[in-house]
Amino acid sequence: MWESFLLGAEMAMRWDTFAIMSVGLLLGMFVGALPGFTTVMAMAILLPLSFFLEPLIGIPFLLGVYKGGIYGGSIPAILVAMPGTGAAVATTFDGPALTKKGKARKALEMALYSSVFGDLSSDIVTIMFIGPIALVALKIGPPELMAILFLALIVISATSSGVFVKGLLMMVVGLFFGMVGQDPIGALSRFTFDIFAFRAGIPLLPMLIGVYALPEILNAIENKATDMIRQTINSREGGALTFQEFRSCFRTICRSTVIGTVIGMIPGIGQVVAAFMGYAAAKNASKTPEEFGKGKLEGVAAAEAANNAVNGPTMVPLLTLGIPGDNITVILIGAFIAQGLRPGPQLMAEQGPLVFAILVAMVCANVLFLIIGYFAIPLFAKVVSIRKSILLPLTVVFAFAGSYVPRSDPFDLFVLVGFGAFGYIAKKLKFDVTPMVMAFILGTELEYSFGQTLILAQGNLAHYIFFERPITAAIVLGTPLITYLLWRRSSRLRREVAAKLSDENSS
Amino acid sequence: MNPSKESIGNNEGPTRRFNFNTVFGLVFFFLSVVLFFIIPDQIEKPLFVLDENENALEPSLFPRLVAAGFGGLGLWLVFISFSIREENKLRNLDRQAIANVLVTLLVMALYTPLLMQVGFVVASALVIAALSTFFGNKSYGVTAVVSIAVPISIFFVFTKFLATYLPPFPIDTPLTRLYIL
Repeated sequence: MWESFLLGAEMAMRWDTFAIMSVGLLLGMFVGALPGFTTVMAMAILLPLSFFLEPLIGIPFLLGVYKGGIYGGSIPAILVAMPGTGAAVATTFDGPALTKKGKARKALEMALYSSVFGDLSSDIVTIMFIGPIALVALKIGPPELMAILFLALIVISATSSGVFVKGLLMMVVGLFFGMVGQDPIGALSRFTFDIFAFRAGIPLLPMLIGVYALPEILNAIENKATDMIRQTINSREGGALTFQEFRSCFRTICRSTVIGTVIGMIPGIGQVVAAFMGYAAAKNASKTPEEFGKGKLEGVAAAEAANNAVNGPTMVPLLTLGIPGDNITVILIGAFIAQGLRPGPQLMAEQGPLVFAILVAMVCANVLFLIIGYFAIPLFAKVVSIRKSILLPLTVVFAFAGSYVPRSDPFDLFVLVGFGAFGYIAKKLKFDVTPMVMAFILGTELEYSFGQTLILAQGNLAHYIFFERPITAAIVLGTPLITYLLWRRSSRLRREVAAKLSDENSS
Repeated sequence: MNPSKESIGNNEGPTRRFNFNTVFGLVFFFLSVVLFFIIPDQIEKPLFVLDENENALEPSLFPRLVAAGFGGLGLWLVFISFSIREENKLRNLDRQAIANVLVTLLVMALYTPLLMQVGFVVASALVIAALSTFFGNKSYGVTAVVSIAVPISIFFVFTKFLATYLPPFPIDTPLTRLYIL
């Protein structure tokens, strides 16, 4: 494992990798700074670009977009009280108040430094943990993989937004869509309805762009694409952040980093909850909690460190078990698959140096993040007032181009529009699409490992699992309990977040 | 303040005895019944079987489990729909919003055949101009510049830099012969 790490570190030291990560960071910050455009949307639209680049360029590019997007959302959150991404909601508690006090620059710089610190620390933890977890993952056979995949799908459904049963239904919808095409064992056609285009199954990329990017566009144009911001913004107002000010928040930043790192490793929780938990912990630990919400730098530091610390650890279940933990890693798994890399227990064994190279590139991206963020803040501050009536059509064109190029098949564009409409309606009716997409991606693997398990069991599945595969038995028995605990925690955290938001709205 | 983009919490809106969740629960249950009927016809039969393993996974087993999932979960949703309170945001859309969304979807649907007929650059320029004007942009000069410059840039990036294929700009071939593009 150590040799793989050293080889990977050497592979990552390429100027083109750093250059493309810088481009990704810039694009991510740009999209993150736009209210109404999410990081997921940006990654879905930019995903096709990564297909045609080699893995050590394409995947760091998307990681750059991811990191940049999560930070970029803090810029409008601080300047105009409008979070660019969901992860920046907690930043609006203190950011705009600091801007009103003439400390916009301090707030933006605090957000940048705490984001970099949180992200860098959690990336290092990711590299330390991924090797041992991968070694354990190698001992997993088809029954264990089947149980883990099933548990992951159930957990994602339980922690998705909305009612649990609706999350489960969307999971089943995803399994159904995944069955269209050829079955993974005998390659027999299923559910093609005599439509030739369906024989190869539903294409993943147009579906991803359709459900994640197009609904945001349709939401934005409900009221025509009015400009979100009309006021002039001065991001350079006030002096720079001093070292003493940063040092006074250092303990808070470390606490939030730990919170974000732990949350990042658990599938289904995500940056929003991490930011709120980091903020709440900072307020509880503070000697002057009454100052939070009135323009306290510590409030910005706590939220931003926590939400960026989630970025690295979300890669752990993705790379070691092939299980994406949220909608962003769902897109990343699409990128890996397109590159011919199947995340899972075998990936570290077969492509260990490449995996470590990607992780080392992720660590190096934080240095680029710091430099680019520092100089680009004034530029992205202007982005918040860009005309959506121009930006939205450009996004549509880019989405179509990206969906068309992998297979040059016009059918993919109809899939794109179809899933765009589907995703829009699902969002309006409170059906979360993430369980559907995850089940679509993992369903084939689930069915395949189920088939292998049946053969191994030789007709006596229950005996085989409960007497010969104790780990599988433990996971199967633990699934209902783990699901219930995570669902309860997730529901409680969402209620706290909703209560906090309504308190802020009424004050 | 803009609310979180992660949907948080439920239990909003007035309680209705029969609501959209009830309808969808019934739809999923009905889908389950339909699936059970169509599964035998929708799964291809192998031409011949060399060595049938009685323990192997039948191609129809997983679909039947999925169909059962639709049925069971559909009934569960029907049952709990009377007690959960969720707002049907489709119902709350006004006519203008619905028209905006439908027009946009229509333009997207027409974009595909247009793209295949006149090429990526021309089709995209028309779509950008149409949508931008429809969305309220009145700076026609800016629209014109963006409508031409952006599709050409995207075309260049995908076809020349990434070496992929997009339906060509109508005069791409003569221009490449002249080594302009």
